Amino acid sequence: MLLETIKKDFIQYKDQAEPGNFLALREAAFAEFEKLGFPTTKHEEWKYTNLKSITDKTFQSTCEIKSLVNELFNASIESKLTANFLVFVNGSLVNELSKIIEKDNSIVISSLANARKKHQDIFNQHFGKYAMVEGQAMNALNTALLSDGAFVFVPKGKTVVHPVVIFNISDASDLNVLAQPRNLIVVEEQSTLTIVETYYATGTNASLTNVVTETYAGKQAHVEHYKIQQQAGACYQNNFTQFFQEADTNINHVTLTLDGTLVRNNLHFYMNGENCNSLLYGLYVTDNNDLVDNHTRVDHAKPNCFSDEKYKGILKGHSTAVFNGKIMVHLDAQKTNAYQRNQNILLSDDATVNTKPQLEIFADDVKCTHGATVGELDEESMFYLRSRGIPEDVARKLLLTAYAVDIAEKIKIPELVELLEQKIDGKL
Amino acid sequence: MLEIKELKAEIEGKKILNGINLVVKPGEVHAVMGPNGAGKSTLSAVLAGRADYAVTGGEVSFNGKDLLDMTPEDRAREGVFLAFQYPVEIPGVSTTNFLKTAINEKRKYLGLEPMEATAFLKFMREKMELMEMDKALTSRSLNEGFSGGEKKRNEVFQMAMLEPKLTIMDETDSGLDIDALRLVSAGVNKLKDGERSFVVITHYQRLLDYIVPDFVHVLYKGRIVKSGDASLAKELEAKGYDWIKAEVEQDANA
Ligand SMILES: Nc1ncnc2c1ncn2[C@@H]1O[C@H](COP(=O)(O)OP(=O)(O)O)[C@@H](O)[C@H]1O
Ligand SMILES: [Mg+2]
Repeated sequence: MLLETIKKDFIQYKDQAEPGNFLALREAAFAEFEKLGFPTTKHEEWKYTNLKSITDKTFQSTCEIKSLVNELFNASIESKLTANFLVFVNGSLVNELSKIIEKDNSIVISSLANARKKHQDIFNQHFGKYAMVEGQAMNALNTALLSDGAFVFVPKGKTVVHPVVIFNISDASDLNVLAQPRNLIVVEEQSTLTIVETYYATGTNASLTNVVTETYAGKQAHVEHYKIQQQAGACYQNNFTQFFQEADTNINHVTLTLDGTLVRNNLHFYMNGENCNSLLYGLYVTDNNDLVDNHTRVDHAKPNCFSDEKYKGILKGHSTAVFNGKIMVHLDAQKTNAYQRNQNILLSDDATVNTKPQLEIFADDVKCTHGATVGELDEESMFYLRSRGIPEDVARKLLLTAYAVDIAEKIKIPELVELLEQKIDGKL
Repeated sequence: MLEIKELKAEIEGKKILNGINLVVKPGEVHAVMGPNGAGKSTLSAVLAGRADYAVTGGEVSFNGKDLLDMTPEDRAREGVFLAFQYPVEIPGVSTTNFLKTAINEKRKYLGLEPMEATAFLKFMREKMELMEMDKALTSRSLNEGFSGGEKKRNEVFQMAMLEPKLTIMDETDSGLDIDALRLVSAGVNKLKDGERSFVVITHYQRLLDYIVPDFVHVLYKGRIVKSGDASLAKELEAKGYDWIKAEVEQDANA
């Protein structure tokens, strides 16, 4: 049972830990986790996503690398980018594969463990301040037992020229592995950063990734954040991403889920100043008995902010998709513009979608729209293409690719989009 | 080329085509006219192979082959082209990619090698010039955000690209201003080569001033109730459809 492993892990961790502030934080988080336990389908937020198949297993936290992760890395589309790379295997940094090309020394791109020692002030100012532990069992667990992760600090007025790729590999070639990466990204005033967060897996055993990413965007900052999930095999992932936005910030986020047995994404935006833009785009292509669950939450806490959300799914086999999009418009968040759409195409009678918009609006002068669709490919479009001599299967593929690429193209790295389009094409 | 015998079709149990007979020979232009709801679009849809309609009787042969037995894509690749009354918008599929796919699928069907990228682009450029197509239109997603007139012109452009043997135009003239109407008609006339045939469905005689038909048929209540030459269209323009309706009712009562 997972719970027992985790308790053992925490006792072991405590015995080895250096005393100090951080231990206290972890102890508090662990207490919160123990109080809450793993989420069950009795929780409203976990109604359709049953973790039992995970919590019944045992997983080991290990930093031993058993397989040829180099090959996996080099074969990946992300590794083709001109970028800064932080590569983690089972939550631990792999120095040989990590490479920083950023020349500006005031910009920090390193492991979180390093940052905790060398950039204590920034770490203490931001760590654990945005991704809440209270009531969030999986966040609490991550905070208590986090391994390592990425740390990016962009000081005021700087642009990080090349993307930072946070490359995660679960190596389950020897046993069931548990990784709890933790990323902290601090983009100060008027700065610009692009993050590519990516997940792969290798090995025939199961892997569980419980990752938390906190991003702070200072005034007028611009953050591009792309998450690409393609963990093939018996892979489970719980991914919590929290953005905290000061005034006049722009955040463009894209999640592409192309593989994974069970993927739960929690994507939260908190707009703490006026004139923020938050863009949330997602694409999931599911097959077999896989389950992909996207829970998003946008907190319009201040007036004059804009959010646009579009999630699209293509479901095959016996797969299940869950979408829950919460938009909270706080009392004084007048002139809010918030849009949300969730579209699903079912390619199989055995696939299931549970979609739910959740608008909670406490201000009166707001513009909010939402819509969800579940259906098949548009018949009119199919007939149109076929009437031009394009066979049914080719026509279907053309339409599905077009549907999916609409989301992939929200990624502003053309080389990456092109490679991803090929990947997506292969899945359809 | 096309031989329709006693064609009957219905949708949701509603009888719409009640025994159509029509023979189109190579190089001929036939106009099919008739009041709203007569079954003109249904006829074109049944010929193109839309699945919503159930064919309940009759037969259609196209160059000796059973047309009704073929999938929509095979009909197209055999040389049937339907210019839609309401072309659909397909976001994310570029006109260029769409046409390249369509042309190469047809070539594959006919046992030909695919057209190479450069040859295709050259061919497309030629047809764009011929049809006076705006470059901006073909670089966009298929019909996305096109005006009504632009969509119709795109239909004719696609026809030029696919070089069908038989073109069925379903009210391609409706919603066109006079300039667009001229362009569309000129496009069609440029493709006439004495071999290609056209079935031009229209509500108004106006289009037939530009595309002069060899035969004019009046469709009413799912039947061709009158046929004649181009002068029949002029007569309909002058007198409307009421006298035809009256004639049909009279025949029915007799
Ligand atoms: N999808 C449909 N479902 C039910 N009735 C239809 C459908 N399509 C056409 N019809 C009916 O069939 C008749 C003929 O329609 P149509 O072929 O579109 O006529 P036309 O093109 O001559 O105006 C009309 O009465 C119309 O209401
Ligand atoms: Mg019609």
